[in-house]
This record gives sequence, C-alpha cells and structure tokens, in this order.
Amino acid sequence: MNYVEPSSITELMNYVTTVEDYRCLAGGATLVAMMNVGLVEPELLISLHKLDELKGMRIDQNVIRIGAMTTHTAITDEDRLTGNASLVRSAAGQIAHSAVRNMGTIGGAISHADPSADFPAALTAANATIEVLGPSGRRVIQIDDFFVNYLETSLTEKEIVMAIMVPLSPADAIGHHLKFSRVDGDYATVSVSLALAMEGRICSYARIAVGSVAAVPLRLKEADDILIGSNLEESEIARASELLLKSSDPIDDVRGSSSYRKFLIPRLIRQAVLQSKKELSYT
Amino acid sequence: MHVKQDGSKYGVGISMPRRESYEKVSGSAVYTDDMVLPGMLYGAVLGSDYAHARIKSYDTKAAKALKGVKAVITAADFDMQRCGMLIKDEHPLARDKVRYIGEPVAAVAAIDMATANLAMQLIEIEYEELDAVFDAEEAMLENAPILHEERDSYDGIVASPGLHNVASYTRCQEGELDVWETCDVIVEGVYETPAQEHMYIEPCSTIADIDPMGKVTVWSSQQSVFIPRQLTAEALGIPMTKLRFITPQVGGAFGGKCGVTNQPVTVALALAANAPVKLTYTRSDDMIMNKSRHPSRIYMRTGADSSGKLIAREAKIYFNTGAYADEGPLIGSVATFFSRGPYKIKNMNVETWCVYTNRTKAGAFRGFGVPQATFAGESQIDELAEKLNMDPFDLRMKNMVATDDKWLGGQNIDHGTLPGCLKAVYEASNLRERPKQQKLDNNKWRGIGVSTSAHVSAVLSASAVVKLNEDGTITINTGAVDIGEGADTILSQMAAETLGLHPDDITYTCTDSDTSPYNYQTAGSRTTYVVGTSVTQASVQVRNQIYKHASEMLESAESDLEILPGSFVGVKGSPDARIPFSAVAGRALNQVGGPIVGMHSWLYHNTPFDKETAMIEGFALDGGGVFCFAAQVAVVDVDKDTGKVEVVEFWSAHDVGCAINPKSVEGQIFGGVVQGLGYALFEELVWIDGQISNPSMMDYKVPGMNDVPYDIHAIILETQEKTGPFGARGVGEIPLNGVAPAICNAIASATGARVRTIPATSERVLQEILKLE
Repeated sequence: MNYVEPSSITELMNYVTTVEDYRCLAGGATLVAMMNVGLVEPELLISLHKLDELKGMRIDQNVIRIGAMTTHTAITDEDRLTGNASLVRSAAGQIAHSAVRNMGTIGGAISHADPSADFPAALTAANATIEVLGPSGRRVIQIDDFFVNYLETSLTEKEIVMAIMVPLSPADAIGHHLKFSRVDGDYATVSVSLALAMEGRICSYARIAVGSVAAVPLRLKEADDILIGSNLEESEIARASELLLKSSDPIDDVRGSSSYRKFLIPRLIRQAVLQSKKELSYT
Repeated sequence: MHVKQDGSKYGVGISMPRRESYEKVSGSAVYTDDMVLPGMLYGAVLGSDYAHARIKSYDTKAAKALKGVKAVITAADFDMQRCGMLIKDEHPLARDKVRYIGEPVAAVAAIDMATANLAMQLIEIEYEELDAVFDAEEAMLENAPILHEERDSYDGIVASPGLHNVASYTRCQEGELDVWETCDVIVEGVYETPAQEHMYIEPCSTIADIDPMGKVTVWSSQQSVFIPRQLTAEALGIPMTKLRFITPQVGGAFGGKCGVTNQPVTVALALAANAPVKLTYTRSDDMIMNKSRHPSRIYMRTGADSSGKLIAREAKIYFNTGAYADEGPLIGSVATFFSRGPYKIKNMNVETWCVYTNRTKAGAFRGFGVPQATFAGESQIDELAEKLNMDPFDLRMKNMVATDDKWLGGQNIDHGTLPGCLKAVYEASNLRERPKQQKLDNNKWRGIGVSTSAHVSAVLSASAVVKLNEDGTITINTGAVDIGEGADTILSQMAAETLGLHPDDITYTCTDSDTSPYNYQTAGSRTTYVVGTSVTQASVQVRNQIYKHASEMLESAESDLEILPGSFVGVKGSPDARIPFSAVAGRALNQVGGPIVGMHSWLYHNTPFDKETAMIEGFALDGGGVFCFAAQVAVVDVDKDTGKVEVVEFWSAHDVGCAINPKSVEGQIFGGVVQGLGYALFEELVWIDGQISNPSMMDYKVPGMNDVPYDIHAIILETQEKTGPFGARGVGEIPLNGVAPAICNAIASATGARVRTIPATSERVLQEILKLE
C-alpha cells in the first residue's frame, strides 16, 4: 500500500483519476479500523488532511458551509451553528467518544453512509446539501438524494465530498438529535433528529429523520406535513410517528431486535417533539 | 503503621500509591506485546469454521511454501496431548475433532504479521461436519450429538458423572426434601445469566524463546507462572526443566488468564521454527478463542413461613461450559456451595450440571460461580419479601448468618460480618427514609434495591522467600503475579510493616518459574490472605535473625531490642545503642551464621464438609475457607418509555478484616461494582448458529465513564480475621457478586417489573414492563 498527501485539488484529482484502487483517508475513524481487520486493502491511501479547501466553516447567505475535513469536535464546539443548524451540533457531540470525535470528520462519516451513525439522520433532518467534486467538476446533492442504501451513497466513482451546507434558517428553529443507545458512545439503537419551529402555538416548521431503522435515514414529507400547522398535540405526533413507523424496516442485531426498535420509534419521536415544544415555549 | 525519619507514614493501613503506577500511567511499563527479541517471528492461529466437525485432513504445503513463513503446525505434526486443570479434555490445537467455531486448528510463525495472516489463508483443512448443540439442557438430551465420546476415560481430578455431555455434576442436600407443604409462601422462577467477557485491556500475549541448550523461556500475560508451565509441559510432553515461565506487567486478567491461554501453541511454534515467536491475540481472536464467564440457567424455588423465616430452597443449576471443561467443574461446585446465600435455610437441595456444548469454553471469572447463584438467590429474597409484604431489608436481617452459624455443608463461620455490612449500607444509604418507588420527570421511575453476598478468600498453597540484602534492604520473592490488583504493593507493605522498613527499601522479584517459590494462581481472592501469610511469616523469620545478630552485637537481650526508623535495630530506651541492618547483613554474610533468608511455605486447609448433616456429591474441592461478606444497595432510574436503566448511586460495604492499603481496597470495590454493573445491564456474548456475533469492542459493550454512577460509595469495615496476615481477608471478587441482583431488585422496586434474565437490557426491561400493562 502506498500513501500520499496531496496539497492541492488538482493534485488530488490527478491521483483519483489515475489510480484504480484507492481510498481517501479523512479522520480514519472507520477506514483505519476496516483496514486493520482486512475489510479493505487499497493500493493507494490518499490523505485529505493537507487540503485547505476541505477545512473550516464559513457562513454565506444564511447557510453554513462545513468543510468535509471538519472534525466532530470542531462541530461540537462551533457556536455559529444556530437555528436549524443547531441540530448538527447536537448530533456531533454525541458521536462515539472524544478520541473518535477528535479524529473523525463529517465528510468521512457521511461518505461511509452507515444508517446507524449520527450524522446521516441529523443532516437529513437539517435539510443539508452536499458539495461534491469529481473528474467532471463540482455538483451539489440534496441530502434526501445522497444516501442510497446501506453503506451506499449517490456519489459516482471518483467523486469525493468537499463540504456540507446546512441552512441556518429557520433561525427560530431548534434542533435536537435524540440518541438512544445501549451505552454511552455506542451506535444508536434508534435515533431521532428533528428541527422544529413554532409561531405562537402553531408549528411553523418541522423536519424529522429517524436513524438506525432502515438502510438509509428515514424521513417522510407526509409526516412533517402532519406536524406543520398543528399544535403538536399528542394525537398529531402519534399520527406522524405512525407514518414513519410504517415505513421503517429495522434489523435485528446486538443493539436491539427489530420489534424493539419499532417500539422505540414512536416513543422517541414523542419524547423529542415534546421536549422541543417545551423548549420553544420558553423562548 | 510506622513513621519514617522524615515523618512520612508507611506500612500496613496506609494508602501508598501502587509501586508500578508511574510506569503504567506514563506508558513505560513493559507488557508482553511490548517486547521484541532479535530474530523474533510473529505467530497467528487459524480457527475452525465449524461448530462441530471431524478433521479429515490438513494441507499446509502452500502455507509452508510462502516466502517468510518459518513454521506451520497442526496437532498432526506435533504430538500434542490433552490437558486441562480439572479434566484433561483439551488439546492446544484441535486434534481429530473441532468443537466450536474459532477453535484453534493450526498455527503459523512468519517474519511479520502480514505474512502470517496470508499463510493462514493458504491452509486447507478438510472437515466432516457433525450435528452441533449449543444449549446446556438440550445437550443433555439423549439424542444430542456427543462432544467428547471419550469423556469417561479422560484423566483429571474430576470423575465423569456418566451423563450425556455432562462434564461434571455436583449435589448438596441438607435437611428434609419434603417440606414444601410447611411453607406459607413459595416463590419459584427461572434465572438466566450471560457469558460475560473478561475484556481485560491486554489481550492474551505470549513470547517463547529457545536458548542453545533447548530450554524455552516464555513471557506471557498470565495469572501464574506455575499452572501454565505445568499445562504446557503436559500438552507438549516437555519436562519442566526445559520450560521457564516469566510474567512481565499484566494488563488485567479477571480469571480469563487462569490456566493456559496461548502459551502451549506459542512454545510449539518456537520449537518448530527454532526461533523466538510472539503470539498476541487480536481482540476478536481473544473473545472467540479464550474463555468467558459460564452462562447459566437456574431453576430455583424458595419457601418461607408467614413470619418470613426461610425454610427451604431447591435449585437446579445448568452451567454451559462450552466445548471444554476448563475450571467449570470447580465453578459449578462453588455455585452449589453459594446457592444458599448467606442465610440460614435448614432444608436445601441443590444440583449443578456443568455441560459441554459447541461454544467457546467458559472458565474462571471474578466471582467464580457465585455471581450466577447470587443473582437467582438474591432475586428470590426480594420476590419472597413482596409476597410476604415484608421489607426486603428486614427479610435479610431476619435470616442472615452470623458468627458461629454454619455455611451450607457445615463449615463454621468464624467471623459473621454480614450484619455489620448490612447495617453499614442501611445507614449510609439512608434506606429508612428513601421511598421504594418514586416518580420522576419524563416518565422515569426511581427504585432502590438491596443485595448481600459472600465469598471465600483462601484456597491452596503458596510460599515466600524474604532476603536481607547487603545494604540492609529487603528482597521479597513470592510467585504471586500482580495482574493489576496491587499484590506487589500490598505484599511489600506487609513486609515493610513486619521489618519496620519503608516500602522503598523493599524490592520484589518478577515472577519466574525457575526462581520464584511456588504459588498457585492469582485467583480466588487469595493473594492477600494466602501469599500475605507467607510473606509476613518469612519476614518475621528475617526479623528474628536480625534480632539474634543485634543482640550479640549490642550485647543486649533480644527482648530489649526494637526496630527503629531508617533500617536500624537498637536497644529500647538507649538512643545511641543502635546498628544499621547493613551491619547485621555484613556480619551474617562474612562472620557469623550465613545469609539471612526467611522462607515460609504452606497449604490452606479448610474445614471439611460435615458428612453427618450434608449429603455431598461430586464436589471438585472440599469447600473453601475464610468467609467474607458484603452488602450492596443500588438506586436506579428506569425510563418506562424505553426500558433504559441508569444506576444513579451505589453503596458497597465490605468487611475486609484489615485494609492493608485502603485505596487499593476501594479500587477493588469500584472495579467490581462497575464490572458487576456491566454484567447486570449490558454485557453478553451472543451466539447465532454457533458463531459469536459480537466479538469486538464495537458490538460487545462494557460500561464507560458515563454509564456508571459518580457516587459509588465504598464502605470498608475491619473486623480482624484472626487467622489472616494483620487480620486481613480477600476482597478481589466479592464486590461483583451482588451487583446484578441489587440492580434488578431496584428495577423491580421502581417499576414492579421483575427481570430474571440478565443483562437487563433496555429491551428486556421494557418487555417486562409491558407485561404488567
């Protein structure tokens, strides 16, 4: 295996287009573990850590652009992630342990597309868009179109994630990532991500995604539509969760049986919505 | 306690830091895998793909031909013999048959790991698959496939009970059998406990090196230098004169490194390659190839009269020992021995089967059969209390054993310290004032649970050599491996106390089978008591010799002498009449008497079972001795939406006789409580079709910092043990024993839901809550 550290996008694309069997190394939190157990054995490992364009965060027209190489810790500490985007911050702080958060990156996490991980569901609820770069140039993918299947994204061959754009609006929204796991730092058994805003007693904005219950983060426009315009009463929350529950297809594994996960879905959605509603009523 | 010239306190009862703590914390401590020898090869072990199969043939030609491969071995080209601590039923590499998925069948030594791993993929083994069985009770059925056709002919100290797939059977009966109609209240239930993984930080690791005379030196992460040497010698047919075992620092063991792990295979690889070989298991290999705690299923019923007096208990205990017995027969005996708990129950009938199945073997693990029996027994005490409408604490107080009561089997309890432990947790946790059930915010409910437990702290033999060095310092040598529990420090403290020295003036040797005097294993909560006794007695001999010399040198009677701070011996009341230990050593070496050496060797003899009052069958040892007791209280919050349990506060009271190093005792209590909490709530190896589905730290979860309560209150009581060194008893295992029932009793108190299968995962708790709705 060879290892390179390109310092420009041109150099990066040069490696990507000329080498067949490569992997891009971001934080290595997952990739290095997979290499250690022999699941992947790339000929070339391309480190992304010298590419300035993939670093840092900046706000442009009410959207925060998070460089793909931004670590979970940097996101957890970022106080410009407000309004709708506060959801991303909430999720980042709950990923694994600090050692992993110090190394793992948002770009790496979504490229891996593990539906049990925290960012896929959180970025879905946060209505993010993904900026990607490939041999034929740059394009932007809406988050709902990004996750295709278990460990599979809509990135075409040779494309890499450059940045994640998260709208700050609605500015009056609050975001929560409610993670239920066996122990602290484990993958979620079920997670509920939501961004919610209210005008008076009426819900003006809602976007919910459920993680670890299907091959991709589960989000239904119909479920969000039930909540928007409602008073977020128990019956309305129940109807929205019922729709999501019906679309879920959780697996059985050591984190919980499929039926237990189905039990959790409406209960956690209810907890997350009611908690957010309570917080909004104080603001 | 002594005071050094500079005013610092030392000796017994002082919380001095661990002697090796700086090295461990700074990362400079040397563990086996840290070592690299010139020309050293790297070993790897190939595991079976089948749960049960006959080995038809091996083809290792391609692997041997690979560049960089120096040895490929199987049981076919190495005449390996069966070995085992109690039943000789296991080859280091499978011979003729494989009995679980992952069982070592072949091993490779190569110039690097990558080559070794590649070579393993080139080994072809032809199997004939056999039917397999994974459940202990199913394995006992007549139509179940037999794992060990030759069980009846195996050597070992445990005879075959002649039952289908049963490695060993134990029974203890006292009192009458037909007393159930005299009980006013009876509770009955089935309790299941998991295969808990030891999850020591350091996986099993061994290095074997051969000298020009053919002697093999073995460094390994192990709990003794003697037991693994003995078993390796047996397995490979090598005399002990050709094997020298040494233990560097050990990164945790908890029983998982008792007996042998991968030492025999590493030695075989080194012999085959004629070069040093290191074999370190990956985490997954360690979880698949090394043992776990015995999973159990326990059918138990307990009866009491209307006043709450316990009358009878009956239990059928099934231990799934996996493919090999390991220490299972002894663990089954201990579970039987502790099935009554620390209570007076006149009529007892307990049977334990230790059963072979096609799973990774189970073996020793902190608690050694007691956690399983205690989970069932302490759950039933609470279930009885509920039926009797009695406070569970009062029910315990009413029935507990005290001084000079008898243990199950008739042994006398010389120090009945349980009442003191129960009172201590009662007061510390303010149990009287606490509500049994309390509604909190967010659909959470708070409950409180109590448990008691017991253990023994003396088994088998130990010895110690204590030497006075030329400069007046001391070297102690015991054969006790410090597996992280602190033996090196507390044994030094005992010698320091006896000789009036500062522990800095005492050095201890690394355990080495060629030079250390015999000690069984770091196991059974025995080091403080058994090895501590030897160190103390050998130190007394040294002290007596120092006095004898000093008496002649100072021309004073021995009775007028005293040991003074700074390694001096002097005449009482005459500050100027004193001589340093170094002068005594010099005189002994060069003028009179010869080197000053103390040596003590002994075997702990427990009181045998009382055959008049108890019917005892199949016990792998005749009891054990020096009882210690504990009482524990858990406060938990249960989320009724999800079933998630959070332990918010915990009290653990232990009568250790004498805390040689109080901080070390607290450390044992904290560690035992946390490991018990993992056993209660999270930890479980899960097999699917004979394969462990979670052999990694990603899928098998132990509690982390945020999963344990900030407030774990370690309460140390010190009722002197009259036979122990400085009055001490052991504390290594007992803090774990009662944690699971205390937590499950607290869950029941919070929710009304009784969880009889641990770990009490959120899912299991929710299932029980839903049954009530």
